[in-house]
Amino acid sequence: MGSLSSSMWIASAALGADQGALDATSNNIANQNTPGYTREVADLTEAAPTVEGNLTYGNGVVLQKIQSITDQVLQIQIANENSQQARAQTQSSALQQVQVPFSNATQGIGADFTAFFNSISQLSTDPTNMTDRQSVLSAAQTLASDFNSTEQNLDSIRSGLNQSVTQNVTQINTLTQQIAQLNVQVGEMQQLGQDPGNLGDQETQLIQQLSQLTNVNEIQTEHGLTLTTGNGTPLVVGGQSFALQTTNGPSGMTDVSSQGQDITSSLQGGQLGGNLEVRDTAIPGLLTQLDNLASQFATSFNAAQASGYDLNGNAGQALFSDTSGAGAASNLKVAISDPSLIAASSDGTAGSDGNVVNLLAVQTQALPSGENPVDTYANLVSQTGTLASQAATEVTASTASLNQLNDQLGAVSGVNLDEETTNLMNYQRAYEAAARVVSTVDELTQSVLDMGSGVTAAP
Amino acid sequence: MRVNPNYTPDILTDLWQSQAQEQTDIQELATGQRVNVPSDDPEAAAADVQNHALQSQTDQYVQNTTDLEGMFQTADSALSSVVTALNQAISLGVQGANGDLSSSDQQAIAEQVQALQSQMVQLGNTSYEGSYVFGGTATQSAPFTLDSTQPSGVSYNGNTGVNSVEIAQGSSIQTNLPGSQVFQGAGGNVMGSLQQLITALQSGNTTNIGTATTQVSTALGYLSQQRVFYGSAVNQLNNNQSDLQQEQVSLQTQENSLVGVDMATVATELSQAQTAQSATLAALAKIIPQSLLDYLQ
Repeated sequence: MGSLSSSMWIASAALGADQGALDATSNNIANQNTPGYTREVADLTEAAPTVEGNLTYGNGVVLQKIQSITDQVLQIQIANENSQQARAQTQSSALQQVQVPFSNATQGIGADFTAFFNSISQLSTDPTNMTDRQSVLSAAQTLASDFNSTEQNLDSIRSGLNQSVTQNVTQINTLTQQIAQLNVQVGEMQQLGQDPGNLGDQETQLIQQLSQLTNVNEIQTEHGLTLTTGNGTPLVVGGQSFALQTTNGPSGMTDVSSQGQDITSSLQGGQLGGNLEVRDTAIPGLLTQLDNLASQFATSFNAAQASGYDLNGNAGQALFSDTSGAGAASNLKVAISDPSLIAASSDGTAGSDGNVVNLLAVQTQALPSGENPVDTYANLVSQTGTLASQAATEVTASTASLNQLNDQLGAVSGVNLDEETTNLMNYQRAYEAAARVVSTVDELTQSVLDMGSGVTAAP
Repeated sequence: MRVNPNYTPDILTDLWQSQAQEQTDIQELATGQRVNVPSDDPEAAAADVQNHALQSQTDQYVQNTTDLEGMFQTADSALSSVVTALNQAISLGVQGANGDLSSSDQQAIAEQVQALQSQMVQLGNTSYEGSYVFGGTATQSAPFTLDSTQPSGVSYNGNTGVNSVEIAQGSSIQTNLPGSQVFQGAGGNVMGSLQQLITALQSGNTTNIGTATTQVSTALGYLSQQRVFYGSAVNQLNNNQSDLQQEQVSLQTQENSLVGVDMATVATELSQAQTAQSATLAALAKIIPQSLLDYLQ
């Protein structure tokens, strides 16, 4: 049977439920710009009814829980795309720097080659002219020093990337520690069937940050999340985080290891992956070609020198110091300082320019690597350009798809002020109405209590 | 359907893109270059390196051509003086072969021819920018000296070497004739015939003087043939020069089409980017204040 007290009870429960819903709405509005926040929805359900005979009494409303609305699959896709985008972005900015020494066609190694051979061509018009001979030496000097500075440039970009690797690892370790702590709490709440709410949001946000550093695999287990690197090295298992270590490798570059195992080459994606890829693949590839160009050019030019005679009638000496192997380009030096030692003569007389033909042939003949010096260099220019433009294209593509994924997630989880305002009005009205019920029931109760007091005995 | 209420990241990306486009366009307009770094167009950047190599090489060929022209002209004008001197020698020889002349007159003529011989040695020692042009490749010491012990009256200290200079891609030009070939050739010996004439004049033998004069004429004919080398070399250089100028023009045209900017296209792109940006900004300004809250009192 219905009673005033049950009406009172229903109204006061409604007040509580509406207050909870208002809380959720208020929290949504407060966090509308918080990165990683997922909107909360008050889960209102009918209370179990009371059945008496053929009467069923509703028992009001129950606030079941406050549910965060998100999409786990989208979150994982976003994490992957974050990792792609951060990798491309890191590569792109490093490769933008790499292409700088190769940017100007009127300067640098390519132009130096031609200037050098031009000075030799000029010498052929007057083989005894000391000014022309000095010009050949200066041009050789410029060529050698541009080789040196180009290689040093690439080396310094590479060591910059190497420092970033160490920083990335430190950031990863900080994040995995924080995630492990949150993971314990979130896991416990999930086991109890509770919505992890803001804690879950925080954890997701940290995982997104982690994916920007390296590619992360997420596995949901009953004890919370397990996070591993792309190749399966554990980062977080339940409440435990596994720190990555950095060690100095034999090449002077920093290696990354986990529990004693070197995982440098298997790390992909994110800033760390991008840094490693440019540091260990792109730049070394260019350096090897630059070294080969320097050493092969020096060798074939020295051979041409040796086939002729200098101004004093002596057999030609090497113009460039012998260099080979890694660092050849930065070690390339001009070996002679006396301009009379340039071997222009083919017969030992000072006035002969017969060997110039052999010296100039180095300009047009293919080096052992397959092309003549200028074409080999042009090839390097095209490679650096291709690397940089590919990375830039990837950045554009992954930014676009990241935006799209974020839009999709935002459509699910984002706080829409119109929606929240509407809810606010609804819950406000409901609260006011429930409060009115309370006061009405109160009045009724008062009437009931007053029922006896105003009655006097009938005469 | 629910949509993403937070549109700022998308709009910001759009703004960044149109800003980046504007910057690229402005840079292209300012530099006049479509390719400012290799990544703008890797293939064109590489081709530009090769194009610059060719341009700079062509400039050098022009420089070589100019330098050689001076030397050829010096040698040619020396040979022109040689021709004049030989003509003088011939008329002196004809004069000396006249049987009516006294011995002292013949001696006087012989002395005049000797003076021509010294002049000839000087001409043989013509130098251009410090190098003797008729010494073969031995350009640092005078190729001819008077030497009475030699049958030709002079000794040749040069060699028979020749030099050549590249004046176009794959094309070289011989830059000298050895003095031994020009002045002491088998087809006509300038130095030898002069000495012969001097000896004949000194001896007073008119038959010998006549023979020697004929020798000098032969030498003159031969020398004129040799001189053609320098004349045609100068012609070749002139032709080469105009070829090189054409080459320079076509290389510059090529460079322009490789990396140069099409001003009209870029200017249009720039104004499109600006329009896109102001449209985005206008849309943003309209959208931001709109929410249900604006209509609630």
